[in-house]
Amino acid sequence: MMEQRPLWDLFVTYVGRNYMRILNLTGEHVMISLIAVGITVIVCVPLGIYLTRNEKAAPYIIGLANVFQTIPSLALLGFLIFVFGIGNDNAIFALFLYAMLPVIQNTYTGIRSVPKSYVQAARGMGMTDFQILTKVQLPLARPVLVAGIRVAMVWTIGTATLASAIGGGGLGRLIFSGLSSIRNEIILAGAIPATLLALFADWILKRAQDYFNPAARAVRLAAKYGPPDEIH
Amino acid sequence: MNGEITAEKGSVLFKKVTKTYSDGTRAVDRLDLEIRRGELVSLIGPSGCGKTTTLKMINRLEEPTEGTITVDGMDILSTDPVKLRRRIGYVVQEIALFPHLTVAENIGVVPNLLGWPAKKTRPRVNELLSMAGLSPEKYRFRLPDQLSGGQKQRIGVLRALASDPQVILMDEPFGALDPISRETLQNELVSLQKDLKKTIVFVTHDMGEALRISDRIVILRKGRVEQEGTPEEIQNSPKNDFVRSFIGEDRLSRMSPDDPVESIIEEPWGKAAPWESAAEVLERMEENDREFIQVVDPKSGQWLGMALLGRVRRAASAGETVLKRVNRDRKLYAGEATLRDAAEMLSDRDISIPVLDGDGHFIGVITSTALARLAVERLRSGTKEAQTA
Repeated sequence: MMEQRPLWDLFVTYVGRNYMRILNLTGEHVMISLIAVGITVIVCVPLGIYLTRNEKAAPYIIGLANVFQTIPSLALLGFLIFVFGIGNDNAIFALFLYAMLPVIQNTYTGIRSVPKSYVQAARGMGMTDFQILTKVQLPLARPVLVAGIRVAMVWTIGTATLASAIGGGGLGRLIFSGLSSIRNEIILAGAIPATLLALFADWILKRAQDYFNPAARAVRLAAKYGPPDEIH
Repeated sequence: MNGEITAEKGSVLFKKVTKTYSDGTRAVDRLDLEIRRGELVSLIGPSGCGKTTTLKMINRLEEPTEGTITVDGMDILSTDPVKLRRRIGYVVQEIALFPHLTVAENIGVVPNLLGWPAKKTRPRVNELLSMAGLSPEKYRFRLPDQLSGGQKQRIGVLRALASDPQVILMDEPFGALDPISRETLQNELVSLQKDLKKTIVFVTHDMGEALRISDRIVILRKGRVEQEGTPEEIQNSPKNDFVRSFIGEDRLSRMSPDDPVESIIEEPWGKAAPWESAAEVLERMEENDREFIQVVDPKSGQWLGMALLGRVRRAASAGETVLKRVNRDRKLYAGEATLRDAAEMLSDRDISIPVLDGDGHFIGVITSTALARLAVERLRSGTKEAQTA
């Protein structure tokens, strides 16, 4: 039998020969994840806002999102084959269902945790409901809201590796083909970029989350206009 | 416009206004009230008297159930609430400066809602900050978290003044501040009001504050006006006990020796039941370092006497109940005893006096401390009057 080459050697060789394919699949992975999270944000932020104005519906909608969350991801993808057939549409829809919960929940709780006194003051000064939402509630809920999107993004990048199990693209392709051909270097070629992507998304969104913090704004203002002297 | 309503600009008028909440509570009950242009009127009363509801009906944060409210001579129900609120300044107790906006942005909220261009808002914000003694360069770009409580509420007041509204509503604006900042801001408001002559409706539960700042005070009770008048009128001729009790501390200095004792009755520190053993009671008295205790039947509330330490000690060594050696001579009856009686009895022997109702039920005690407090208040107000005279 042929002498076994070390894994790192196999990995380097594989990447060297297939880097274009890895890049393409990474790009596809990013696209699938971004589209899924994009749809989630477009649908679930307004839904979360709606729930703050219709409190009675909140337990049902959040409960439903919770159910999607609880279904094992592969099983969910499997069910959806009956609806969408095989391919990226199916994967994106499944990822959307999967990512709903943190976005709805954080939008809802983020807005609800804005103290009533701000809302009351805003209304008393003559803001319309929409202005109260856009000028007071959403800006104050932003750090919590972005935290929800951050969780959704990281989950989605992870779960998107399963998309190839139902004929979707992305880095999952490499992982699954590595698994079926028992070639660890191919598994790594998919797993490493997927992990890096998740870490990178987490880091970027953490920064966004911090940026929206009023305390961070204080620091930016101080940098621009000089530090305020101490409070007295 | 409605011909009956002849109110001038900058005035607020309530006509038979009732507010009933959905749970049936009637917060405001056929209220008639006129607040004239340039007047600072305080609405005061105990919680639940309808003062905040009354205020919030002016800018339609609450809608009246019946009656008419006019601002500037216009029925507010025929005005768009959003436009109405932008014409009326509003200061709240919680201060509620938006924490994500700078001082300048907070002050500029209403001008922005009104669509002022930046080149008009900016000098206005600077002007207001300077007026409040806050240097614009220093404070414009601060966030609320970088201000002290007093500074925050100063900004809260400036925010209400920003678009120069004639009518301003203030809902316990200084209630959350420490006493020193509160007094400073009250004084600032008074001097500001001298120049600006705004129509200010000011809700408070602090009579001292109302007396200090108001042109006129409206005392509310159960949604109706109990008494209204200038601070002097309210102080000099309170209409009834309710108003008198609201004037608070000051009432003490106005008491005469012929007033009934009821107003200074206190709960005693402890009571003994007639069947208690003297030893038990003695232990309690020694623990609390007391010289006497009232013996009261816990069921009927009948006063059975007062036990003095020396006698309780003797009863304890004889193994008797506390009731055996009580004193029943020292007592006053509510409804007939005056402060003078209490003072005489206390000067005789400095031990609290039990006060009973006509049927011999125990009400409370009069202590020499309570009486002394009264005397001090009188002396203090005497010197105050002498100083001002």
